[in-house]
Amino acid sequence: MKICVDRNICRRHGQCAIAAPDLFSFKANGEMVYVEHPDEKYRNDAEDAADACPEQAITIND
Amino acid sequence: MNQLAAEVPYLNLSDPAFSTRSPAVHAARDKSWYAKTPYGLAVLRYEDVGNLLKDRRLRQGSYAWPAHNKASGSFAEWWLRMLFNQEGETHARLRRLANPAFSPKLIASLQPKFIALANDLIDQFGKRGTCDFMAEFSEPYATRVICILLGLDQGEWRNLADIAGDMGLALGVNYRKEMETINAATGRLFGYARRVIAERRTRPPGDDFISLLLQANESKDKLSDQELDDMVVLAVFGGIDTTRNQIGLAMSKFVEHPDQWALLAERPELARQAVEEVMRVRPTTTWVTREALEDFTYNDLMITKGTTIHMFAEAAGTDPAAFPDEFDITVKRPPHYGFGAGAHHCLGHFIARGDMTEALRILAQRIRNPRYASEPEWLPDSGNTGPVTLPLAFDPEA
Repeated sequence: MKICVDRNICRRHGQCAIAAPDLFSFKANGEMVYVEHPDEKYRNDAEDAADACPEQAITIND
Repeated sequence: MNQLAAEVPYLNLSDPAFSTRSPAVHAARDKSWYAKTPYGLAVLRYEDVGNLLKDRRLRQGSYAWPAHNKASGSFAEWWLRMLFNQEGETHARLRRLANPAFSPKLIASLQPKFIALANDLIDQFGKRGTCDFMAEFSEPYATRVICILLGLDQGEWRNLADIAGDMGLALGVNYRKEMETINAATGRLFGYARRVIAERRTRPPGDDFISLLLQANESKDKLSDQELDDMVVLAVFGGIDTTRNQIGLAMSKFVEHPDQWALLAERPELARQAVEEVMRVRPTTTWVTREALEDFTYNDLMITKGTTIHMFAEAAGTDPAAFPDEFDITVKRPPHYGFGAGAHHCLGHFIARGDMTEALRILAQRIRNPRYASEPEWLPDSGNTGPVTLPLAFDPEA
């Protein structure tokens, strides 16, 4: 599984970090960081984050 | 550059005649990125609204709204408890529980129901060539969409619309005056929510919002009984009045821009973008608020802990530094702040966008050449706004 974030669309709302805190987080300077290749057990969390993104900037590739 | 206090514009938000899209607001925006108000600051420019909505040194601010109005009773109590006035881990837990019921995939699957509903409502007045758009389309449409989403009996729509309308007065400038009506409506909605929840417990779970919450409620740590009631009340209240008003504002905007309405009829694929363009220039939620969690400096302004900050959606959406002065549904714009932004970004935006897209697409197909049959009646242009009545005349359907 590979998580892709389109940084051109991302507006740093932070909904991904609420939906899937193990995969997405924000640094103090506001920069978003994420786990690009998470373990398969996080698939539901990753999909929740993709769904919750208001700008739909997150895609999950198998 | 430091702005002298005397140069900072002042906007009287508590005046019922105050308009968030008035020339005074736009003049203030030209002069300064912020203005002072009776309840703290107002932020007026696109870039600053975007920055501050997502700034982690600020919390959601509207929890203080009942206190600002010296309000008490069941509305104020619910308001303080519910999802969007929570922060941190409690907010995250409640938001994670609610998210799946509002996912874009689930909403997309409801599209045929939105289309059928829109057509069904227009069937009632299309041949007449006149309607009160709010009473005959916007209100039943917005309410019945929520019934579909929550698996409620659509026959209840009138009752729910009345409750939502009365509770919605709490988000307007006349909160204090209407407190009794607001609290009575809140009591009615809790009664309704508890009846629906009790009834739903007796049925096998479906994939609707209430079933989802009931599963979480099996573990009280995940979702307490009180939180369950509060969420159902939020879903009914939060979805009806906002959408009702936003569709009404959209229609009025297109009455004033007949060329854009004709274009939408010709190019129905523009409906989604039309929703965005309307919300940019004519949002029902005229502002959202934040409160400073600490002292900090932004743009050389010292903001002290506890300061309430109003983010003006229309002023941001029409900021000449970010947008040309036009209403054009063919142009893809940067995101507007009609749904707020950040951790408290509107939970129901996919459904609102989805149902408004279908409504506008079908209305443009069937309601040709709409104009005001008489002057519309408006809610105050401060707090949550929209038409009260919107009498339309149009070319009758054959």
